[in-house]
Amino acid sequence: MAEFKRQSPVRFTASPIETEERDHWTVALEYENEGHGPWIGDLAHKARWDLQDGGLEDITPCDLIIPEIPGQCTFSGDMLINRMNRTQASIYHLGSEAPPIPDFQGYTDVSESSVFLALFGPNIFSVAEKLTRLDFMEPGNTAPFLLQGPFCHVPCQIVVLDSGVDGGFLLTCSRGYGDSMVHAILEAGAEIGLRPAGEKRFGSWIAALNRE
Amino acid sequence: MDRLKQLPTLRINTDEPLTLKYRRKTYRGAAGDTVATALYAGGVRIFGRSLKYHRPRGLYSLDGECSNTCMAVDGIPNVRTENTLLKDGMVVDAQNVKGSANFDWLGFIDKLDWMMPAGFYYKTMHKPAAVWPVAMKQIRKAAGLGVISPDDEMKGRYDEQYLTAEVTVIGGGPAGMAAALAAAESGHRVVLLESRPHLGGCFDYRVTTNGQGTHLYERARELAEQVKQTANIRRFEHAAMVGAYNNNLITAFQVGKAGDGFTERYIEIRSASVVVATGCIERPLLFEHNERPGVMQVGCAHRLARTYGILPGKEAVFSVGHDLGLEAAVDLSDLGVKIACVADIREDGQRPDLLEALAERDIPVLGGWVATHAHGGKTVKKATLSTVEGTVRRQFPCDLLVASAGLTPVSGPFILAQAGMGYDRRTGYFLPTGLPEKMFPAGRITGINDPDAIEASGRLAGLEAAAAAGADVTQAAAAARQAVAALPGPERGCKLVTAPVKGRKSFICFDEDATVKSVKQAIDAGFDVPELVKRYAAVGLGPGQSGIPGHNLPLFVAKYTASTGTPKPTTVRPPLVPTYIATYAGYNHHMFKRTPLHDSQKADGGIFRNIGVWQRARYFSEDFDCKEEILNVRNNVGMLDGSTLGKFRIHGPDALKALQRVYVSDMSKVTEGRIKYSAMCNDDGCVIDDGVVTKLGENDYCFTTSTGRAGQASEWIRYHTRFDNWDFHIVNLTDSMGVINLSGPNARKVLAKAVNIDVSNEAFPFSGYREFFIRETIPVRAMRLGFVGELSYELHVPASYMQTVWDMLKEAGAEFGIRNFGVETQNVLRMEKCHIILGQESEQRTNLLDVGLGFLWDRTKSDAKTVGAVALRQAENDPGRLTLVGIRMADDTRAARDGAIIVDTKVRGYVATMRKSFTTGEAVGMALVESQLAGIDTRLQIFEDECNGELLDARVVPMPFYDPEGERMKL
Amino acid sequence: MALTLTCPVCGKRNGYEFRYGGEDKGPRPAEEGLTPRAWCDYVHMNTCTVGIQKEWWCHRDGCGAWFTTFRDTTKNLEVKPPEAENGQA
Repeated sequence: MAEFKRQSPVRFTASPIETEERDHWTVALEYENEGHGPWIGDLAHKARWDLQDGGLEDITPCDLIIPEIPGQCTFSGDMLINRMNRTQASIYHLGSEAPPIPDFQGYTDVSESSVFLALFGPNIFSVAEKLTRLDFMEPGNTAPFLLQGPFCHVPCQIVVLDSGVDGGFLLTCSRGYGDSMVHAILEAGAEIGLRPAGEKRFGSWIAALNRE
Repeated sequence: MDRLKQLPTLRINTDEPLTLKYRRKTYRGAAGDTVATALYAGGVRIFGRSLKYHRPRGLYSLDGECSNTCMAVDGIPNVRTENTLLKDGMVVDAQNVKGSANFDWLGFIDKLDWMMPAGFYYKTMHKPAAVWPVAMKQIRKAAGLGVISPDDEMKGRYDEQYLTAEVTVIGGGPAGMAAALAAAESGHRVVLLESRPHLGGCFDYRVTTNGQGTHLYERARELAEQVKQTANIRRFEHAAMVGAYNNNLITAFQVGKAGDGFTERYIEIRSASVVVATGCIERPLLFEHNERPGVMQVGCAHRLARTYGILPGKEAVFSVGHDLGLEAAVDLSDLGVKIACVADIREDGQRPDLLEALAERDIPVLGGWVATHAHGGKTVKKATLSTVEGTVRRQFPCDLLVASAGLTPVSGPFILAQAGMGYDRRTGYFLPTGLPEKMFPAGRITGINDPDAIEASGRLAGLEAAAAAGADVTQAAAAARQAVAALPGPERGCKLVTAPVKGRKSFICFDEDATVKSVKQAIDAGFDVPELVKRYAAVGLGPGQSGIPGHNLPLFVAKYTASTGTPKPTTVRPPLVPTYIATYAGYNHHMFKRTPLHDSQKADGGIFRNIGVWQRARYFSEDFDCKEEILNVRNNVGMLDGSTLGKFRIHGPDALKALQRVYVSDMSKVTEGRIKYSAMCNDDGCVIDDGVVTKLGENDYCFTTSTGRAGQASEWIRYHTRFDNWDFHIVNLTDSMGVINLSGPNARKVLAKAVNIDVSNEAFPFSGYREFFIRETIPVRAMRLGFVGELSYELHVPASYMQTVWDMLKEAGAEFGIRNFGVETQNVLRMEKCHIILGQESEQRTNLLDVGLGFLWDRTKSDAKTVGAVALRQAENDPGRLTLVGIRMADDTRAARDGAIIVDTKVRGYVATMRKSFTTGEAVGMALVESQLAGIDTRLQIFEDECNGELLDARVVPMPFYDPEGERMKL
Repeated sequence: MALTLTCPVCGKRNGYEFRYGGEDKGPRPAEEGLTPRAWCDYVHMNTCTVGIQKEWWCHRDGCGAWFTTFRDTTKNLEVKPPEAENGQA
């Protein structure tokens, strides 16, 4: 009998040395040789919601306020709300569990439709520079902020959580590009030692950002 | 040869020796040497032979301004050896020679120059016409310098970098460095590009002092250190700028050094403002044999000694027109070169201290004199000098003739930015007459030569650039402006165009072997402006572009045509510097989408093809006719990965209005539990997409699109509702669900084993839609459709569970011998049912009615302003439209090829898709033909590519070819 | 590639992120009395202004917004709306 197993659109050649089973996902907690950074983390198992409605100002997902201006983000605990345009926001759940999706027509669970990556650690932005013309360091922007634009020629949502030299960003794009995207990113990051990292390291990074 | 050591200006490190091989001999160089300087240090004087006349050529500019020293390095042709740093073990070969650079069997061609006047190849070699193909073959072999095979592959890593900056400074000399430092004061992001491997520019190698008594080479290193310590200046050395475009988009490429992760890197910078501090190169002096090895420009001779520690020659004669030449003479004399005399085109105006210094060294200065001939068969042995008027001549033995008419600004960036160029009478330079927005010149490019003025102009330009990018620097800029005004301004330049010679062997363009004489011939033939001369006499068409001839050509044309107007230099185009195609190509990742089953389909023997941005399995065996796959679906059961299907959710109070706008059917008839097939048209009524729609709830629908249109579906709907201000929301779920197409008479039996719901025909009929869970965990949306004409279930499953469900069905189907089927099999199956594929059976000229889908169109909903309805109404009764018909070959053994045209006296249509059907045994397919030929049994003739006039016979037959009652899909 | 356009949601971006949507011809004409020629003109005929024209663009690689902007076709540069449009853009 076929075993229930959920698969991520992303595969790394590195092997995880510690994993955890979660809702039929095999979540990698730590990889071999994670090195000193920067890192790429696969967040495919984490929930993402799309929220669209004509009156976003009246909606408070999990009691959080949706930012007013496209490009702005609300980052609180494990939840990230990104204002995309007048009628749309994306919601990312960064913890190990997500709350149930609210029973309201405006929400769509889009966890399955995208690749979800974290790119963080020393000099990660020098890798981004090789893969996109988007200006992550535009003087007007303060992290966290959302950019919608091409990365590796593929339309993405990019949320910069920390624009410091050891900072990082999250990236989602259409799921089918998983393999191509990771291949391009790893190739561009090879010269500075970009490696896969597991949930533990990602979780520490998020926790550190929350403390600031 | 012994190198000058202990010079503080050296950029080589003799403690790190490197070797290269040339003509089976090993040459020793040092870290920091270029390939050219290492060869020169080893005694090489002739580096190659010129394109047309096979004249010996050597070092001239030391910056690769022409192709003189292009050689093959490690198998790569046309490497500019003056700009390429030496790496240990390089293997170098001369180009364009039969024999060697020193003895080229084709050298005799130089004596035949009288046979090859300007443009001779336009007038010869084609009468009689039969001569041309022979001549063309030989010319192709001779045209060009390097040799490459189409199989050659560039080794190395080529990547790219995209930067945004507030200020970009092009040029890392004193003006550029001063500009970068000034701009960085405001906190702006500054990018500094320098084409040489080190900063320093025109200060780097000079011992003369500035106003503060600091040696220029020391000042250069001071500024460079300040630049390195400034965090917000990103500097790129060995990075040549190659292009400038609208909105200050600057492109460049950087050569990687040892330890870098790249061989060459393409850099693209979007900058708010730009400082152009590219400095000057030298204007070549035109005299007979002015390109003989041993003749070199001032900077070349001076830098050979000061930067590379190599004495350029033993006995030198100078023929110059500016103070840099005098300065170099003084310095080179001190370093050990014996200078017979310095001829200066100028009668007066020289810096007095330089004249004094030359007098102290007993070096005679001949004011108003100029070189007219360089003598020597292969290298210079003797120089003839004469008065500028040509009245008196003298000869001097020498092995080095340093010749230069003056300076010329490197104005490429301005020309690319489409600044108009005009002649400045004082400097003799071509300068931009109107500066492009937010682009600022600095340094020698403006005509100044005083070291302090150069720095001050750089500082001012940097501040102006910072201001243009939004910084508040009014006070600092005002102070900088005053500082510049207090220092010497642009200097008078030498205006001499040619020495007093006939010009038969005075080369105006080295790359193309174009002489003064050939320019005169072109002008005499009526090509009397520089842009025409350039093309007719091939002046400046080589890799150097305008490096050598750029300044001299318009000056000469103006003089020779006795023009009173100001001459215009020829334009230059990117790349300003020869660049590898590999550098532009970069990684060139193939970014494509895979379905969740990609790997397991591959493991099952899937052969993939690109479809739009996707890769899909087209075949599952080497039999591209797919016989077994097809018959398996018709008689048994098969599985197809249909995950690429577009899937969307549309919700909101106006969702139905949006659907009514883009779909031709009445979408208000869509109900929960049933699927409705419909199509979308464009404003010409042509069907552009089709799919099924179902209702999920109040104001909540989902619809499917074809694979190719999924990426644009949202865009399409938003475009056609852009004036309406409706409240609806679209979510693209294409990738979120995998799709399994389970088809064949045994499909129900397989599905029943894997799921718990009732899948009998009564419980789940054709066109039905069901939602359920597999083992209470995996949500599934199932539809019964008939695309391939058999009992089919289309299962939509979350992508992360797709492999699990696929494996389950595979296991359930094992007892029936279930197999994969690919896109080609699906293509044939649906063709047998005459189900159209958009883009295959439809095109720009076919509207909804032409392809037989008129039944989808609801005419009554005109309020919806459905896209396409107007055109459909207007075209409904048009005669002679292309119509979709079924056709069958007269001979069933072979189907006509897709795309073959249907003809009588004219082209009347074409075959859309045709196959030899394994199911019916007939060669059948669909075609588009003009409506008058659409009647059943009409005879048609088909013209296939390369049929040599033998047409194939076919006739129109009823559609579909298989199961016309449609019973199989309703089982 | 040098063209930049200002998306109302995302700000100034590289031209390659966008898809051109044609000259602005306003909403489609009423069907009452519409001749095939007039309809064809609306769909296919372009003014091809030498100078500043109002056009539609879609931020295809970004937020997906459709918007109008003004571009000088002789220089291929986005420009500010001409005076008359202010208050109407």
